[in-house]
Amino acid sequence: MDALAAICERIASYSSRTRKIHLLSAYLRPLSDEDLVRAVQFLCCSPVRNQDRRGMAVGYATLRDALASVTGWDADTLRLCFREVGDIGEAASLLLFNRTAGEPLPLALAEELYTELYNARKVVQKLDVLQSCFRRFRPLALKYFVKVITGDLRIGLQSKMVEEAVAEATDTTHEAVRRANNRSGDLAGVALAARRGQLHEIEARLFHPMDFMLAKPLDALSDLTDPENWIVEDKYDGIRAQAHVAGGRVVLYTRGLEDVTGSYPELVRALSGLPGSSVMDGEILAWKNDRALAFTVLQQRLARKRLTPELLEEIPVAFMAYDLLYRDGKLLLDEPIEERWRLLEELLENRALPLLLSPQHSAAHIDDIDRLFEEARGRWNEGLLLKRRGSAYEPGRRSGTWLKIKRPYATLDVVVTAAEQGSGRRATMLSDYTFGVRSGDGFVNVGKAYSGLTDEEIRELTRILRSLATNHFGRVYVVRPQVVLEVAFDGIQRSSRHKSGFALRFPRIVRWRRDKTPEQCDDVERVRELYEASLRQGVTEKQA
Amino acid sequence: MRVEFNANGIHLPEIGLWLDPKETRDAAWLSHGHAGHASAPHCTIFGTQETLNLYRIRRSEQENLPHDLRPVEFGQPFEFGKARLTAYPAGHILGAAQLLVEYGGERLLYTGDIKLREPLCGLVTEVVPCDHLIVESTFGLPIYHFLSAAEARDRIIDFAQTCIAEEIMPVFLAYPLGPAQEVVHALCAEGIPTAVHGSITRFFPEYERSGYAFPGWMPYESSAAKGRAIVVASGTRNYLEASGKQARVAYVSGWACLDNARTRAGAEELIPYSDHADFEELMELVERSEAREIDVIHGYTEPFARILQLRGRVARAPSAAAYRDEAEG
Repeated sequence: MDALAAICERIASYSSRTRKIHLLSAYLRPLSDEDLVRAVQFLCCSPVRNQDRRGMAVGYATLRDALASVTGWDADTLRLCFREVGDIGEAASLLLFNRTAGEPLPLALAEELYTELYNARKVVQKLDVLQSCFRRFRPLALKYFVKVITGDLRIGLQSKMVEEAVAEATDTTHEAVRRANNRSGDLAGVALAARRGQLHEIEARLFHPMDFMLAKPLDALSDLTDPENWIVEDKYDGIRAQAHVAGGRVVLYTRGLEDVTGSYPELVRALSGLPGSSVMDGEILAWKNDRALAFTVLQQRLARKRLTPELLEEIPVAFMAYDLLYRDGKLLLDEPIEERWRLLEELLENRALPLLLSPQHSAAHIDDIDRLFEEARGRWNEGLLLKRRGSAYEPGRRSGTWLKIKRPYATLDVVVTAAEQGSGRRATMLSDYTFGVRSGDGFVNVGKAYSGLTDEEIRELTRILRSLATNHFGRVYVVRPQVVLEVAFDGIQRSSRHKSGFALRFPRIVRWRRDKTPEQCDDVERVRELYEASLRQGVTEKQA
Repeated sequence: MRVEFNANGIHLPEIGLWLDPKETRDAAWLSHGHAGHASAPHCTIFGTQETLNLYRIRRSEQENLPHDLRPVEFGQPFEFGKARLTAYPAGHILGAAQLLVEYGGERLLYTGDIKLREPLCGLVTEVVPCDHLIVESTFGLPIYHFLSAAEARDRIIDFAQTCIAEEIMPVFLAYPLGPAQEVVHALCAEGIPTAVHGSITRFFPEYERSGYAFPGWMPYESSAAKGRAIVVASGTRNYLEASGKQARVAYVSGWACLDNARTRAGAEELIPYSDHADFEELMELVERSEAREIDVIHGYTEPFARILQLRGRVARAPSAAAYRDEAEG
């Protein structure tokens, strides 16, 4: 852990992406097989191999209590230190400066300790392990030992860059490593296979989520020159999900690769009846009277803590399947979309609600797509998804063989209230903005966005926002409300997190409105109007 | 001895002396060259010769300088009214001094800005036993740990040489009076060609007078050539960034102790070296002063006072709000 921590510090001190990758690959290359696996695993913030980090159940309170008992600092002092530093691993290393026995922490020992933490049932046992760590090892190693637990190294190293470093250190291509990682979701195992020249042997494993293929937005229909080469489907406004099914067992993963199986018992019942083993890509929708309800309705179901029979009846869900990635031991990613869909149709041959198969259409002309778009909108769907004929399924990619055409939603003019430093190339810039709308004499937050501006604009905004900063908490700067942005979004939902009571879904910055003052921003009433309009859509639906 | 803390500075009413006042007062003690805003002709200002010279450089030609600037020697007591005053080195920047005030059988020590460890340019701090200590706490939290002068010099030189070898321009950000001169002194002594911003070079003559050389420095221009280091004040970062040069930026400051300084300062390399005491130095200073009573000013006043209280000391954070803005830049 000592050498890994040292290399992480060097990686943090370079903003150049290639430099970070070179530093990391030079560190990984000479490691033993065992340490290569451990190092890559820790770099992915996975303390215990093939186990969800959260299963360790070591949170802020446990770390704080362990630090309090080792350092003797009172709660107020610790709280202030954590606030100033903004990262608990870094704070731990600073608080333990010159106060530990300074023992080295080999990666193998770190793995043992993580496993011990993972297996400890009681908090006191976890505290014992942490306290002994905080007394024994060097502060720099502990900084990263803790960061792996909290799940963010904060050195501007995205997972794609770890993939690239693994490829460079094992003399393979990034493409090969990426593909293998997409299949197995276990970059540590991939690194070892890459070193041994066995990447081709890595296959998808059931009940390990794969990355989802993503669609590129198509801004204007006229940009599409060859409509006959595309398969057209409705674009649904639900929750994207991957269903893994084998021998009566079912797991549903979302795009965050989170297991959400427990929320949809009716889907589990239906899917468990499917023959053989399969991995499907699709959408979870609130579904009634032969059509999807608005996303806000699905949200209402998710907001409830307990799934009562009444709720399951009031807001039933369906799984709209549209792709098949795996079937009876065979990975289908490289099969053309037509073949995947044929197999999917075959699998769902005897389907009944809540299982649905997304219909596919063809278009000979742009006008057909126009018509299909209107029809999709008539079915209350979001728009269209265009999939290139003959294309493969590319996990984690937005390669342009899938295109999306969405309904245009109103935009809002908002004011930036806080800014956070970015990561990687944008590590020295304030690139993530929390924004609000007018409410009375002040502003209330409605969301946070980090994409849509050019680097030039972000650089300039960074300068301006730094000069507007009134306070900061770690990486977050609170700023005087002055900078106005126009944001687009996919919907509005109720939120207890924001004072406004609302949160924008998928907000993105359309442009920087240098021409507008904060007084000209939209207000919270406008947000409420838009929210209620979207809700009426759902309510009308339920009455129909 | 009575001590009053208010927004304009620290007042010793029985003696009629102000410590680092922010406005014009009849008689004032200037602890170091960053401090002091008194500028009316009629007042008397005490300080070391170096501090008074730096104070004069910092004031514009047009301003009315006090006629009565009284230089004070380290370790040489002098009478002021019924009190006896003595200046002792404070390490902070060139000329920085602590003031011992002896009155009515009581010893009051005012540290001003202070560091305990030896600086690259300046004298070693003398710890003075006292009854009542007024101490700064710019870095009064147990997360702040700084490099020694020797370690900082090695880091500065290594960063510059590595960048130059890679044909990248090394840029150092440092506070323009004190830390910046230390950085330039380290670079020049190593023979590294160094271009320096005017906000920093204007203090060079005073440093040179005290024996700190900057051999071969050149004035900074925005079109600085390859193969040399650049030292600028923190604000200069903006147009450097805009010029789009192949540069790597190092931030030399106590704040560089925390990773979030990368964003705050717009730097990649962090060199945690300061003209202030870090947490351990502050604790050592308090310990060795043997003070029975402690007032904490600047920075983390309330938390640092509480830390001292938890260790059984009589400590206070008077008028914390009035001092909060005075921290290192």
